[in-house]
Amino acid sequence: MQHTLGAQPIDSARAALDAARVTLNGLILGKDAQVSLALSCLLARGHLLIEDLPGLGKTTLAQSLAHVLGLSFNRVQFTSDLLPADIVGVSVFRQSSGEFEFQPGPVFAELVLADEVNRATPKAQSALLEAMEEQQVSVDGTTRALPDPFFVVATQNPADQIGTFPLPESQLDRFLMRIEIGYPDEQSERELITGEDRRAMLAGIEPVANPDTVTVLQNAALGLRMNEPLVDYIQALVRYTRESPDVEIGLSPRGAQALAAAARAHAFVERHSGVFPDDVQAVFEAVAAHRLKPAASAALQSPEEIARQVLAAVAIP
Amino acid sequence: MTRARGTDGSLLSSLPWTLTALAVAALPHVPYLPIWITAASIGCALWRIVIEKRRMPVPPAWFRGGLALGGFATVFTTYGTISGVGPGTALLAIMASLKLLEARKRRDQFVLLFIAIFLNMSALLREQYVWSLPYLLLSLVVTMAAWLRMSAPAGQPARQTMRVAARFVGYALPLAVAMWVFFPRIATPFWSVPIDTSSGVTGLSDTMSPGDITSLSQSDRVAFRVRFDAELPAPRDRYWRALVLHRFNGRTWSGSSPVPDNQFRERTEFLGDPLDYEITLEPTRTQRLMSLDVPESWDLERTHVSRTNTLWHELPVDQRSVYRVRSYAQYRLDTELSDFGKSWYLGLPDGRNPKARALARSMRSDAQSDRDYARQVLEMFRLEPYHYTLQPPALGANPVDAFLFNTRRGFCEHYASAFAVLMRAAGIPARVVLGYQGGEINPLGDYLIVRQADAHAWTEVWLDGSGWERIDPTAAVAPERIESGMSGAALDGAGAVWGLNTPSRLAYRLGMAWDALNASWNELVLAYGPENQKRFMKWLGFENPDWQRLLFTLIGTVAVLVTIVHVLLILRFRPPPHDRARRYYERFVRRTGIEPRAAETPLEFERRIGETVDPGAASRITRAYLDARYGDGGETALAELRLAVRKFRRHAPA
Repeated sequence: MQHTLGAQPIDSARAALDAARVTLNGLILGKDAQVSLALSCLLARGHLLIEDLPGLGKTTLAQSLAHVLGLSFNRVQFTSDLLPADIVGVSVFRQSSGEFEFQPGPVFAELVLADEVNRATPKAQSALLEAMEEQQVSVDGTTRALPDPFFVVATQNPADQIGTFPLPESQLDRFLMRIEIGYPDEQSERELITGEDRRAMLAGIEPVANPDTVTVLQNAALGLRMNEPLVDYIQALVRYTRESPDVEIGLSPRGAQALAAAARAHAFVERHSGVFPDDVQAVFEAVAAHRLKPAASAALQSPEEIARQVLAAVAIP
Repeated sequence: MTRARGTDGSLLSSLPWTLTALAVAALPHVPYLPIWITAASIGCALWRIVIEKRRMPVPPAWFRGGLALGGFATVFTTYGTISGVGPGTALLAIMASLKLLEARKRRDQFVLLFIAIFLNMSALLREQYVWSLPYLLLSLVVTMAAWLRMSAPAGQPARQTMRVAARFVGYALPLAVAMWVFFPRIATPFWSVPIDTSSGVTGLSDTMSPGDITSLSQSDRVAFRVRFDAELPAPRDRYWRALVLHRFNGRTWSGSSPVPDNQFRERTEFLGDPLDYEITLEPTRTQRLMSLDVPESWDLERTHVSRTNTLWHELPVDQRSVYRVRSYAQYRLDTELSDFGKSWYLGLPDGRNPKARALARSMRSDAQSDRDYARQVLEMFRLEPYHYTLQPPALGANPVDAFLFNTRRGFCEHYASAFAVLMRAAGIPARVVLGYQGGEINPLGDYLIVRQADAHAWTEVWLDGSGWERIDPTAAVAPERIESGMSGAALDGAGAVWGLNTPSRLAYRLGMAWDALNASWNELVLAYGPENQKRFMKWLGFENPDWQRLLFTLIGTVAVLVTIVHVLLILRFRPPPHDRARRYYERFVRRTGIEPRAAETPLEFERRIGETVDPGAASRITRAYLDARYGDGGETALAELRLAVRKFRRHAPA
């Protein structure tokens, strides 16, 4: 799909993005950074993995994103008996026409919330991951394109240990970012308690954008300028993860690309004139942590901690 | 001390370049060098390649020393000296070849390339043609490329090396032009290198012995070129006067050393319209300067007119020179001649050429006047079987007698000599004038080419009342020679040998075009000596350009050019704004007096120092820095940053 990036569309799209951000921050209180990351992930054409305990607003975030940006939304609750066909859809024989007719699964939406993705079997998981990777699904030998933009928000409950299938590293790699939401601060929580129900609020909010706006924004974000010093910075970070004794497997070239794309999108969301070191630092943990494998000597440290150490250790060129 | 082992092959990649540079530099010398030097050079080069390829050791030091001594000795015996361009370049070439045999390191290659540059330069001491400069530039580029090649990364394309080398030479070019224009030119430079004189100069000699020459060696070498301001004079009026011979010993005519004659205007009457022209004279290695019969004024310094109305320069003309002359085709010379003066032009050695003297006496007594007698002698040449030839027989002890009565074959010198003797024997003052006659018009350049083949000898006879009068006895024998301006060689049918009557029209046109190119080159570039420099400086507005001023101008120009090249290089290799922004930002950070934390972004730093410094300034600087370094702010943001940092002062602690 081609979009002309004339002055008018990009300016209005830009304004829509800013409006969306304000609205989202009004819905998900005290989580500016996470909202910004989620938007960045969407604009970088990546997929988002939210890993946190229940009740912290994972679903609300996904739903709000879809609603505010005017994207079609489907939710798939992953369970251990979920079949791939439950995700991608099935061909059904129609008596009336005498033909098979494809019944699209929930994956055919611009924003798909895959709830508790680690509860499903690897088979079901890989059906989703394949769809994320290819942005298309194959059913009964026919390849069907998924919508564009296509954004998957998967959630995982880290506390669940029994009867789950944690995503292997190779598949975690498919997610551009992995974020945690965390508890809200006192003030925000107070507002949540006293305020209106979030979902009810959402129903009263008009979308500020549509899928085309999102595509325009994506193109603009990924076209953002990245100067030499920043490329140097990304390379220094990546090199550090590969050389650090605390890391067994450092960032791959795909990881470096992901970092660059995420930083670009973040800079775009933050309205920076180029990609600043702050943008890299803002997205680094979300982009890098789930791609790092800590060394045995650093087994007590979480990948997030290691990512923070990398950031603290590498000087900004 | 370790014994020299085989070479490590490290020079293998750059060696072909070095050899090429040496070969290109040495090529212009090859025609002048003894063949054994060329052979030895090629031999050494091949040997060196084999050494490098097979990782063989270089020959031992005693062997190389022996070769060097041998080469030196051979050059010395070949030339009998080691100074001068010929032996100098021979030594340079042979030593460069031998140096190849001991080149083991990069440093040795540097030496070789230095020698290549020397060879380039010394080629200019031999002869300069139109193509000398382009060839020199090419050779310099090749040498430069060889130089670069020594440190070039492996696998760099040859074209890229050449391009970089050409760029370097290009940077040097304006400097070279400035040096050329402004370097003070001195007529006799004290560093003057003896010009290669081994290549014989044909043309006019100082004396004339018609009987001795049995075959006139002529060539189509250009003697000089002439550009007339107005119409060209007719061929029969193109007598280019060079020197006058008055002393005759029965066999040889000779002249006396020129003396300046400051009163020549008083004894010369210039009649008719003046002819103005510019001569580009090839070096003659003599003091003679050619001018059309007879010169009235000229613009060359240290130049005088002699008692015999020839132009001469105080120093031998070793460089191609350009000068302007005004001549008058009609004139009266020395209408008054003292008896002493007459005696100069009447002398004949006793007892020589008796038959000629007897003939003169009898003819003179039959004639009514001196003029009538001269006319009768010319008639005799015309009517009796006298022939014009460039291969006359030898004439023996009384050459004039032998010529007049026996052989009757000869060229201009024979006729001029015989005629002058016949005149003197009859008591009429006579002298022989040497110079050039005629010349070939180049239609493309609209100028006259006078070649050595146009050298000519004629006579001047002093007649009472009208002074010296030009009488050309050759005109009586071979009028075509004079009337049409055909050179003697062409007349003789021998011209084809040196291409004077080229059969093909195209070849003729090409030849003329080439000569026109040469002529312009000579006038503009090669003739740029002290005189032309002075003229050019005047044109530039220097009233009195002495060498100090020139030197100052030169130094100034060089300084300006170096600065320009420097600035260009700085701009070309100027760090991008994002790198320069870093320096300003670091200055700002130093001025805050606060140490940034490791991996602290500028925005974080700004937030942290917010209270301690002027927050507005810190914010402006941080924004501008981020824009210039990471954003699309470019030069604008950089300028903003620079200004903000310059203004930034840390608040004095309260």
